[in-house]
Amino acid sequence: MSLLSLEHVSVAYDNRLILEDFNLSLQKGQLLSLLGPSGCGKTTTLRLIAGFLNAEAGNFMFSGKDYTKVPVEKRNFGFVFQSYALFPHLSVFDNVAFGLRLRKLKEAEVKKRVNRMLETVSLGGFEKRLPGALSGGQRQRVAIARALVIEPDLLLFDEPLSNLDANLRVNMRVEIRRIQQELGITTVYVSHDQEECFSISDQVAVMNNGKIEQLDHPANIFKYPASEFVARFIGFGNFIAFDGRNDEGADIELSRGELKFQAAKRPGGEGNTGLLGAIRPDDLQLLGAGADMGTGTEGNALTGKVQVSTYLGRSYQYQVETELGVFTVNQEMEQPFIQGQQVTVYFPKEKLVLVQ
Amino acid sequence: MRMNKRVLLLLLPGLLFLAAFMLVPITLTIASTFVQDGKLTLEGYLYFFRDGYFNRILLTTLRVSVVTTLVCMVLGYPAAYYISRASARKKSLLLALSIFPLLTSPVVRSFSWMIILGKKGLINSFLVNTGLIAKPLDILYTPTAMMIGLVHLFLPLIIITLLGVMENLDHELVRAARSLGASPFAAFRKITFPLTVPGLIIGGILVFVGSLTAYTTPALLGGKERVVSTFLYQNAMTLNDWQAASVIAVIMIVITFVVVGLMNAWANRLNPKG
Repeated sequence: MSLLSLEHVSVAYDNRLILEDFNLSLQKGQLLSLLGPSGCGKTTTLRLIAGFLNAEAGNFMFSGKDYTKVPVEKRNFGFVFQSYALFPHLSVFDNVAFGLRLRKLKEAEVKKRVNRMLETVSLGGFEKRLPGALSGGQRQRVAIARALVIEPDLLLFDEPLSNLDANLRVNMRVEIRRIQQELGITTVYVSHDQEECFSISDQVAVMNNGKIEQLDHPANIFKYPASEFVARFIGFGNFIAFDGRNDEGADIELSRGELKFQAAKRPGGEGNTGLLGAIRPDDLQLLGAGADMGTGTEGNALTGKVQVSTYLGRSYQYQVETELGVFTVNQEMEQPFIQGQQVTVYFPKEKLVLVQ
Repeated sequence: MRMNKRVLLLLLPGLLFLAAFMLVPITLTIASTFVQDGKLTLEGYLYFFRDGYFNRILLTTLRVSVVTTLVCMVLGYPAAYYISRASARKKSLLLALSIFPLLTSPVVRSFSWMIILGKKGLINSFLVNTGLIAKPLDILYTPTAMMIGLVHLFLPLIIITLLGVMENLDHELVRAARSLGASPFAAFRKITFPLTVPGLIIGGILVFVGSLTAYTTPALLGGKERVVSTFLYQNAMTLNDWQAASVIAVIMIVITFVVVGLMNAWANRLNPKG
C-alpha cells in the first residue's frame, strides 16, 4: 500500500483550476520528483501536500488516514523552501531548534538533537551565526537541517537548489540523496531541472498543464518518453510523424509515404505506442553522401543538406534540411561537414522511439 | 563603490541650507541657555526644575505623549496587519481611508473634536439624554481630549510605517514556522511580531516626537491645560522671555533624544538584526 496518495484532487487559484482530477501515489521510503516547466502545477501539488493550499475537491490520504483537512502544523512534514525561508532574527541553532521547542522537548534534548543534525549537514561551529552571515550553500543546509530535525513523516523540497551555483548544486543534490537514503525518509522533490530530478529520484513524474504526462523510473523516462511533451522536455529534438505502423515483425515497421523506417521494440514490449517518431540530436548519425552505410541500414535514412553548422565544444551541431523537414544532429568529428554539403541522416532503430 | 569626489558637491546646497538655518540657530540657542549676564551657569535649567508648575506641565506632556504612542501602537498594529494581508484593490482603498485624516488641517480636526467632546457635544448629549449619566463628563480641555486628538492625528503615521515593514515580511517564513509545528498564533508570536517590531518602534518614535512637539491640537483641545510646546510659545510670544523659551526648547530636544535612544535599545533587544 502506498504511504501517500492524492485522489481526484482539484486545486484552483484565483478562480483558475491548476490541478483537476489529479492523482498521485508514493511508496514509503521513496524519493519522487515532480518535474515540469513553470506553471505545470508541480509546486501547487507540493504545497497541497504540505497543507499550504486547500483542495476544492478530492482527498489527500497519508499513512491510511485522511489528511485533507489536517492543518499544516499537525502534519509533521518537513518543507525545504526555494528561498530557504530561514528566520532572519534567529541564530542557526535557534532556527534548527524551532520545531523541537514547539514540541516542548527538554532544552538538553533540543541541544543534543540540533548539534547532531548540524554535524550531519557539516555545519558544526556555525550555531551562533545569523542566517544573514551564511553563504547560499550553508543556508541551504540549515534549511534542510531544520526540516529534518523534527523527524518528519514526509520531506518536501521546493526547487531547493535553484539559487545555488552549478558546482554547489551537484554537491548538494548528492548530499540530499545521501541523507534521504540514510534516514529512509519518504520525499517529494520539485524541480524544473531534469538532470537534477533524474539523478536523485526513484520515481519521476513529468507534469504538464496540471496533469502527469508520465510517471516512471528516471532511466525509463529518459529512454522511452511516453508523449511528445515528455520527449521534447527531456531533449528529444527531432520528430517524424508517420502515417502507418506494423508491429508484427521483430521490429516495428513504419512508413511515411514511400519512406520506410524501423524502430526496435522496447524490451518487455510495453510503451512505444503512437505514430510520432522521436530521436535525440546525439543519437542521429550523419554520413557523407555516397558513404558505405553497411548492412541493416536500408531505410532509416534520409538524404539532406547541411544548413547550419555550430561548434558545441565536444561535438558539432548541424541543422540538416531533408524532405521531412529540418533535423538537428550532434556529432563528434575531426573534419566537420560544411554548410551546403550533401549528407545522409541515419536513424539507428534502437534509438528511434514512438510517442503519443 | 568608488565615487567621483566632485559628485560630493551635489550635497553642498542642502548641507549649506541646513547649516545656515538649522545647525547654527540650534547651536546658538543651546549655547545661550548656559549663559546669563555674561557668565556660564546652569541657573536657567535649575529654575525650571525647581518650579512645581513647570514640572506639572512636563509630566502632563510626557504622560500625554506616552499614552498617545501606546494607544497608536495598539490600534495601529492590527489595522496595518489587516491591510497588509488584504487583496491589492482592498489594500489601496483601506490605505487611502487611513491616510485621509492627514489631508485635513489639525485646526479643522480639533474643532470637530470640540463639537464631539464638549459639555453639550455629541457624546455628552447622548449619554445624558439616554440617562446613562446625570451630569456631562469633563472631556474637552483635559489631557484626555489632547490624547484623543493626537491619536487621531498620528494613527495614520504609524499605520503607514508598519505597513511598509509588514509588506516586506516574507510570508514563506510564516509558512516555514507552520510546517515546523507552529499554530497560527505561535507563528505570529515567534516570527511575524519580532520581525515587525522595527516598524512598531519607528512608528512609535514618530508618534512620540510628534505628540511631544504638537502645538495646535493641545492648544485647542487642552484649554487651560498646558503642555511643554504651548508653554514654550507662551514664554516666547506672550511673555517675550526668549531665554526661558530657549531652555524649554533644549529640554524638549534632550527628552526626544533620550526617548529615541531608549526605544532603539528596546528594538535591538527584541530583534538583534535590527
